[in-house]
Amino acid sequence: MPEIEIHLRVNRREATWRVQPGETLLEALHAHHLKGTKLICGTGDCCGCGVLLDGRSINSCCMLAAQAGGCDVLTIEGLAQEGNLHPIQEAFAEEGAAQCGYCTPGFIMRAYAFLQEQPHPSEDEVRAALAGNICRCTGYVKPVAAVLKAATLMEEATS
Amino acid sequence: MLNIEAYLRPTTLTQAVSLLAEDGRTIIAGGTDLLVNPRYMVGVREVIDIRSLGLDYIREEQGWLHIGAGTTMRTVARHPRIQALAGGIVARGAAVCGSPNIRNMATLVGNVASALPSADTPPALLALDAHAVLTSLQGERIVPLESFFVGPAKSILDRELIREIRIPLESFDSLRGGYYKIGRTSEDISMVNAAATLTVKNSTITAARLVLGAVAPTPLRVKIVEEALIGQVATEEAIQQAAELVSAEVRPISDQRASADYRRRMSKVAAVRALRQAAGLVQPGEEWHHA
Repeated sequence: MPEIEIHLRVNRREATWRVQPGETLLEALHAHHLKGTKLICGTGDCCGCGVLLDGRSINSCCMLAAQAGGCDVLTIEGLAQEGNLHPIQEAFAEEGAAQCGYCTPGFIMRAYAFLQEQPHPSEDEVRAALAGNICRCTGYVKPVAAVLKAATLMEEATS
Repeated sequence: MLNIEAYLRPTTLTQAVSLLAEDGRTIIAGGTDLLVNPRYMVGVREVIDIRSLGLDYIREEQGWLHIGAGTTMRTVARHPRIQALAGGIVARGAAVCGSPNIRNMATLVGNVASALPSADTPPALLALDAHAVLTSLQGERIVPLESFFVGPAKSILDRELIREIRIPLESFDSLRGGYYKIGRTSEDISMVNAAATLTVKNSTITAARLVLGAVAPTPLRVKIVEEALIGQVATEEAIQQAAELVSAEVRPISDQRASADYRRRMSKVAAVRALRQAAGLVQPGEEWHHA
């Protein structure tokens, strides 16, 4: 199978990857030791594999790695800066918004994309924004609270 | 890992249709249907990515609204002109297509090309008499969407790509629309969906279109209801009476989402609610999708 060379940005760094034509972006992330992004349903139904592609949250299980050529990819590993958790990560930890934790990276990346667009959301807006992210342990009350808290933390950090 | 031998990314439409003329190739844009539904990959060895062809556009030209093959559901759902067209039924269909993550990748044209009976936007497009522009090595043909769908995941596409969808704008000032989706959640695949458009002059219905999704092998235009409505005064009673005719027209299946019987009953409910919106009879608080 001929490999394809793609140039992209991953977590703010230029990268050149060799990928297979049938490799999903999620598989390529794992092959490049970025294992924070999880495979859960593999069919685009749960948003557990969510990453940002050119600033938009997408499911990395249902796009080809080759399609990410020329794009800017941000994964859960790219949120913490200089050893400090991102305010969304802090808020998820403080609110206890994870049980098994497997869906958490997808929730956090979706929340990150959403809060870039809507820094002062209402609870209803948060619920609508997270509607595709599925948690099978504990539910949605704490993740919703965490995103609302993150919005406050992020505002404090910039003011 | 999908069984794909080559990923092709043409930069012109001419290159794309030349590539498509070969056996064993298919089109990929958002990929959210293609890569997760094995039925689309039968006999496919190579994929042609059409996202570098400059087809991410929505523009108004010569009485038509043109939506290019690269335009995502997110863009369609948020577009002010589409939100204003006939009650925004196409924008609303796009807004309930999957999750935000799906809508950021999936395209409106892909939703048409996949030709699934339960798709969220084809009923709205059909209610607006949208057309598809099909491009191949032989040239282009413009077909009304009404003659596009053949069966579940089957369309008239023959080594063609859908370059764009066109919606006629001539009657928009007088056209009102309604859209209603019944699903377990609005992100889930529809159990039943309905789109309607009405032209009402001096409180009399002069034109009507009603299209139901997920209740037949293709999106279903229910002409018998349309005919029953034309000439009537647009009242709740007229809508209820005409919608009675829906249940004899639908041919639903039973699956894990709903039984055929439930779909048949809900067909009338969805039809009434879409028509009620189009007639301006919606009660305050009546949602436009049901979760």
